[in-house]
Amino acid sequence: MTAGGPGPGAVDLFGRAQPSGGIAGDSLVRIEGLHKWFGRLHVLKGIDLELAQGEVLVVIGPSGSGKSTLLRCVNLLEVPTQGTVWFDGKEITDIRTNLNEVRTHMGIVFQAFNLFPHKTALQNITLALEKVLKVSSDEAKDRAVEQLQHVGLAHKAGSYPGQLSGGQQQRVAIARALAMRPQLMLFDEVTSALDPELVGEVLEVMRKLAEEGMTMMVVTHEMGFAREVGRRLVFMDDGQVVEDGDPKEVMRDPRNERTKQFLSKVL
Amino acid sequence: MATKTARATPVQEAGPPDVRGPTSLFPASIFWAGIGSLSLVLGGTALVQARYAIAGGPLGQGCLRAGLRPYHPKDITNPGIRGAEGVCHIVEGLRSTGQTALLAAGIALGLAAIAAGFARYRSMDSKRKREHALSGAVLGIQSAVLGAFLLWFRGSRTLVTFTQNFLNFAVLKGSLGGFLNGAKYTLFLAFGGEIGGIVLGLVLALFALSERRVVRAPARVYINFFRGTPLIWQLPFFYFLFILGLGIHWNAFNAALLVFSLNTGAYAAEVFRAGIQSIERGQMEAARGLGFSYLQAMRYSIVPQAIRRVIPPLLNEFVILIKDTALVVVLGLSINQLDLFSFARQGYSDSFNATYFVGAAIGYLVITLPLIRVVNQVERRLRSGLVGIAGAGA
Repeated sequence: MTAGGPGPGAVDLFGRAQPSGGIAGDSLVRIEGLHKWFGRLHVLKGIDLELAQGEVLVVIGPSGSGKSTLLRCVNLLEVPTQGTVWFDGKEITDIRTNLNEVRTHMGIVFQAFNLFPHKTALQNITLALEKVLKVSSDEAKDRAVEQLQHVGLAHKAGSYPGQLSGGQQQRVAIARALAMRPQLMLFDEVTSALDPELVGEVLEVMRKLAEEGMTMMVVTHEMGFAREVGRRLVFMDDGQVVEDGDPKEVMRDPRNERTKQFLSKVL
Repeated sequence: MATKTARATPVQEAGPPDVRGPTSLFPASIFWAGIGSLSLVLGGTALVQARYAIAGGPLGQGCLRAGLRPYHPKDITNPGIRGAEGVCHIVEGLRSTGQTALLAAGIALGLAAIAAGFARYRSMDSKRKREHALSGAVLGIQSAVLGAFLLWFRGSRTLVTFTQNFLNFAVLKGSLGGFLNGAKYTLFLAFGGEIGGIVLGLVLALFALSERRVVRAPARVYINFFRGTPLIWQLPFFYFLFILGLGIHWNAFNAALLVFSLNTGAYAAEVFRAGIQSIERGQMEAARGLGFSYLQAMRYSIVPQAIRRVIPPLLNEFVILIKDTALVVVLGLSINQLDLFSFARQGYSDSFNATYFVGAAIGYLVITLPLIRVVNQVERRLRSGLVGIAGAGA
């Protein structure tokens, strides 16, 4: 693959042996040699990362370091230019993978919420249950109500996104992802678009989720959340993982020079 | 839903204070002079016309000199002119001394309002005074221009000929049923073309948005062909393509219905494409992130949102199509399926009187004016509601 080559990656997939099932131990996600180019821009420069079952991985780093791109490569909303992503023992960068099916097992929440504005909170949740998972409409409704209770918004079931605050919209978005009963939750700077007084309610939902044992990958600028809820912290800079360890330790005693600089500015 | 949020907070406060200030006698008189001048020119002309029409009476000397003769259909050698009296009354009214006085008074008052308004508005000390002075002057301009035009028009040496051929409404007597029937077929062609066009346009838009060039290309060729050639050419070309080229013997009406659909499809496709592209990228990503396929995401998330946004431009296209159906006249519809324009042309060729076309124009306006109102209202409502629909920005 040449640098700057356009189009989706996975060029080197042809002729590759199929995975013989099962990757090491309890890794839910494994990323190997991941590169991503946007046009001539080299955004991810060889990422290797594993995410264990039940782990809460927090990804921090300066703007443009590739955090969000990395997260979006896990569910292939961005197609890696080069490299392999495994999920639950399957190589999902294989071109033959049914990505629609794979994505039902991992929820993603965005910075801009991206709720469907023409649907109520409840319909936002039931839509994918009915149309993708083919759940009956009664069961979909039950599951949606259950998840709305989970995020404390059962009383807003009939509201449209435009009638909800940013924090409430984001909690509905989390409920929408959780209703699919995913094995993994991806959070892409989910509090960055919120007014400061609304950040807390969303982080609270995520903390509860972590305590319940959900496997999570969280790209964030919330250092307090990273330290207290994260089990593992990855610092990215210029498309590479430069530090990887226990959040409290990394924040107290960063080994890498760039991590030190970054933390001295944000802490 | 957006409209609900918009309606949610009725403002009960007193509102901002009135800072436009008071008016006074002089600017108010300028304003009323403007109103008065326009009333004299327009209202006066209407009143004079009404008076002459109601008074009736036989053809006057002037009209006889101009060649108007009373109508005697039984007299084969000299049948006269149908509706000659009505034509004569219009002309006599326009040329009456009363009309002269009204036009002169209106123009004089208008000029006075123009002079006073423009000369003095700068020295006025409140917003409302200035508004009155300027509005009066602008109304004065309108009445002076209209009055001058009417003076010129009524002085024309061929006024009788024009009136006889274009404003001889007596010839339309008994045609109401024909016009209503024409309106029916006009609407039938427009509705049929629009519905076919919307279905076709949505499919074409989805093709035109494909990432694959091989899917995109045929849609683009189709859209550019139908947008790039005149409808008045498409109608006969496809009509004869069916009959002579393919041996399908459709009547002109059905062929026209199909061509209107094909043509509208191209325009609707561009409207849908723009609408779909205006939906935030995040909507597609959210849907794909939940496991929807591309087509499912389009069907359940993107297209329903896009349709709300394209309602006003689609209604606009519909108004244009209503008028464009008149082009079907080039195919020559059968006598029992005439649209408004074809009926008018039929009447014209029977009577050699172009008042039929004026009748058709009135018919089109009766249909299109309410629709234009609806378009403007829907547009206003959607504009105020779009903030809520955008969602992410809230």
